[in-house]
Amino acid sequence: MNHMRMTTTLGSLDLDAQAEFAREIIVISGENGAGKTTLLRCLAGLEDCQGQLQIAGNVWLDSVTGFVKPTEQRHIGFVWSDAVLLPWLDAEANIMLGVKDGDVAWFNQVCEALEVSPLLKRKPAMLSTGEAQRVSLARALYIKPSLLLLDEPFSAQAPDIRLRLRQALKALQQALDIPMLMVSHDAEDAQVLAQQHWRMREGKLMSEVKTKPQDKVMNHE
Amino acid sequence: MLDALIISLQLALTTTLLLLVVALPLAYVLAFKSFKGRTALEVFVALPLVLPPTVLGYYVLLIIAPDSWLGSAWASVFDSSLAFSFSGMVLASLLYSLPFAVQPMQQAFRAVPKSWLELGKTRGMSIKPMLRHIILPASKGGVLVAAALSFAHTMGEFGVVLMVGGSIPSETKVASIALFELVEMQQQQEAAQLALILLALSFVMLSVVYSINRKPLVVGS
Repeated sequence: MNHMRMTTTLGSLDLDAQAEFAREIIVISGENGAGKTTLLRCLAGLEDCQGQLQIAGNVWLDSVTGFVKPTEQRHIGFVWSDAVLLPWLDAEANIMLGVKDGDVAWFNQVCEALEVSPLLKRKPAMLSTGEAQRVSLARALYIKPSLLLLDEPFSAQAPDIRLRLRQALKALQQALDIPMLMVSHDAEDAQVLAQQHWRMREGKLMSEVKTKPQDKVMNHE
Repeated sequence: MLDALIISLQLALTTTLLLLVVALPLAYVLAFKSFKGRTALEVFVALPLVLPPTVLGYYVLLIIAPDSWLGSAWASVFDSSLAFSFSGMVLASLLYSLPFAVQPMQQAFRAVPKSWLELGKTRGMSIKPMLRHIILPASKGGVLVAAALSFAHTMGEFGVVLMVGGSIPSETKVASIALFELVEMQQQQEAAQLALILLALSFVMLSVVYSINRKPLVVGS
């Protein structure tokens, strides 16, 4: 189990999030400015916050002892709401950024699943917004992170590919067997993917337990 | 005349190469770190912009005088004097052109998008890989401008190199001083040639700087 109890104040936002989660998919929804992105950033260690955070048995944050594990040591896969690709590197080099001697088979599996294999030699300027977003998703997964944090990872995807990507992402998350937190405004993401569905309002986190079976066949019109 | 021109080019090249190494850590801490004494460091770096070159030359002479600790240490290692030598001029030029190297790099570092630095952190990068894979490639233009300005500015030195170098023919007499002496001796034709060469060099270096500054250095993703 992973435990989280974090508070922070950023501008007018007072974040207060407490939850427990397993190695499962959590979809986070809520209005703009409700603190969804801030919550992901706190989990990543990209914002200062107080409280406790324990992931896979390791302490990442403990305000009592003053311990904060720096982002560099958290080994997280983070997907920003815009792709954040380095423009001087092609898609392949972006995906492999900072990794030496990566797992080639896993690389191919991730690229196939997320449909970025034909894009690998292209620079970001030659990618559409949706393609860039998939490359950034592949980059986050390639490092086999211990926690996946995705900020609206499908927002720029066309409806048909979005369906395939959901299944692909789910399969990759299961292969890695890690917790995955995903911010999404798309109700279908929550319906199809979420094992937990969190709603955020004015910085507060409200959890809803999902009861429907996980392997339910997608039914879309 | 040719001697003086070669010495000027050697001095400018040596100074530029050394300055890039010296300016990198200074630009890094000034761009990204807040610490006590930051303002003092920034002022120290910028001082040569406003200081009369003779004042700078005077203090450098004090520092490298044979009875100073640096002067005597240098003499015991290299068995030669720093004052009125090429090495002494290099030291003075490093200080004199320091802001021209540090400031463009500092500005370029500051302009690196925050999300790129965060991306580096999620890839486990410490300072060195972050510089190598993200900050320096993103700041290529700023580093080139720093090099071009340092070179051009060192070529144009007069007061500092006159005081520290002493205008010894074939040793420390640089082109700008040679021009002054040619005019004094009323050797108009040679003076005109040398002036034209220095003008052309400065024009080329500044053209480089302006063309780099005009080009979008990196295309945003």
